Amino acid sequence: MILAGGRGERLYPLTRDRAKPSVPFGAIYRIIDFTLSNCLNSDIRRIYALTQYKSISLNRHIQLGWNILSAPLGEFIEAVPAQQRIDEHWYQGTADAIFQNIYTLQEERPDLVLILSGDHIYKMDYRKMIAFHLERGADLTVAAIRMDRNLSREFGVVEVDGDWRMIGFQEKPEEPRTIRGDSEGILASMGIYVFNTELLVRRLIEDARSDSSHDFGKDIIPVMIGKDQVFAFDFRQGDCEDTGYWRDVGTIDAYYEANMDLISVTPQLNLYDPQWPILTYQLPCPPAKTVWIEEGRVGAALNSIISNGCIISGGNVKRSILSPRVTIHSFAEVEDSILLERVDVGRNARIKRTIIDKEVQIPPGTEIGYHLDEDAKRFTVTASGIVVVPKGMKL
Amino acid sequence: MKKKILVVEDEEGLRLLYKEELEAEGYEVLTAGNGREAIQQLETGRPDLVILDIVMPVMDGMEALGRIVGKERKVPVILNTSYSRYQEDFMSWAADAYVTKSADLTELKKKIGELLGKGKAR
Repeated sequence: MILAGGRGERLYPLTRDRAKPSVPFGAIYRIIDFTLSNCLNSDIRRIYALTQYKSISLNRHIQLGWNILSAPLGEFIEAVPAQQRIDEHWYQGTADAIFQNIYTLQEERPDLVLILSGDHIYKMDYRKMIAFHLERGADLTVAAIRMDRNLSREFGVVEVDGDWRMIGFQEKPEEPRTIRGDSEGILASMGIYVFNTELLVRRLIEDARSDSSHDFGKDIIPVMIGKDQVFAFDFRQGDCEDTGYWRDVGTIDAYYEANMDLISVTPQLNLYDPQWPILTYQLPCPPAKTVWIEEGRVGAALNSIISNGCIISGGNVKRSILSPRVTIHSFAEVEDSILLERVDVGRNARIKRTIIDKEVQIPPGTEIGYHLDEDAKRFTVTASGIVVVPKGMKL
Repeated sequence: MKKKILVVEDEEGLRLLYKEELEAEGYEVLTAGNGREAIQQLETGRPDLVILDIVMPVMDGMEALGRIVGKERKVPVILNTSYSRYQEDFMSWAADAYVTKSADLTELKKKIGELLGKGKAR
């Protein structure tokens, strides 16, 4: 069950019209594609994505792009909107989201439930975590990754004994318990849980009937550490990248950096690994092309990712990521930028360190990213100086 | 003060039977004919315990149970049904007791006594 209702407030305005899992990433993907691909690559083929907030874009993406499994074999990827069968409010916490979908769980009656977040970018073989869960005879296993201790306020911090049995859990602590023998490191919960179904249901019901924030990190895990078999799983044992790559991309700056990593010579996240393909939905598009090569007018892209359907017509693109069907007109310059689908950059325009969301037409001669004071009057500008032009904005 | 019990049952005859029998035990009894009425009664009548049939029109007992525990977390609920198979339903685990319907109300009364005696009531 993938929790795909994340608002992603700090990613505004990229989340103005869509939930965080639906935010485009890496030119052709959506953030949730990484989790869904991990499931398929781990042979997990019965998948519910629990959506709620601004879910139209996400539902469409799942219907169009992920309708690829075999229903006759009992496989499915289904977007489940908040049905309000139990409560007319939005989900109150992560545990409440699963509790409200107890009927969905009932239909399947699996032995184990893998609970995932649709908000993160990483490559992980969940089979290794499930094998660990079964080997240890666990009731709950929580995936954990090493993080620097100064980030503890952003994470649930896991404390384990020598056998990786969980002996403590702190939600976003100021003073975290560090890893034994590594006083600068903490074990952070990745929001990835394997539960024995029956116990999950019992704990969710108890939680629903108590005064609680109905959250796995704040409520369910601390209660279970006291009375059930709870283990942590070392992400390095299941990491398919071998680099410990796991990103929350929770802020515009983090989003920008994670995208820009992809155009480096050897990115930390390898999208080209045939053993671990990342799937997505793409409208069929013609191949990318560049045109014009004459004095002062060269259509070129360097150190960049250029998607299908792009036309670079006499303009210049450097260190940038172009989603499908982006057009760059003559004498335009695009540097260190992320252009989402169907952005059109007019003649002589200059774009630097800017994220342009879908379907924006940049008029000829426009400059963005060169005068941040001016840009801040029209656009979002982050502390580190990244400009964001919202989807469909008329300039 | 008398303890207040909400009986949720779609068959009128049974509803009256429960009402009479439980009033004779010294309880105040509210009634509802389906899950939706039960939710309304929960808000207006503030019962100390709910006896909930499962197979009912408009809103069945299983759905009502989910809503009841979401709204009034502490109020004990007894599922009271002719069918034992509902014990397989995950949601039925949210009930405090599961009683199979019978003309003899001894078991039901015993469960009521246990649940109200536990100090769970308001």
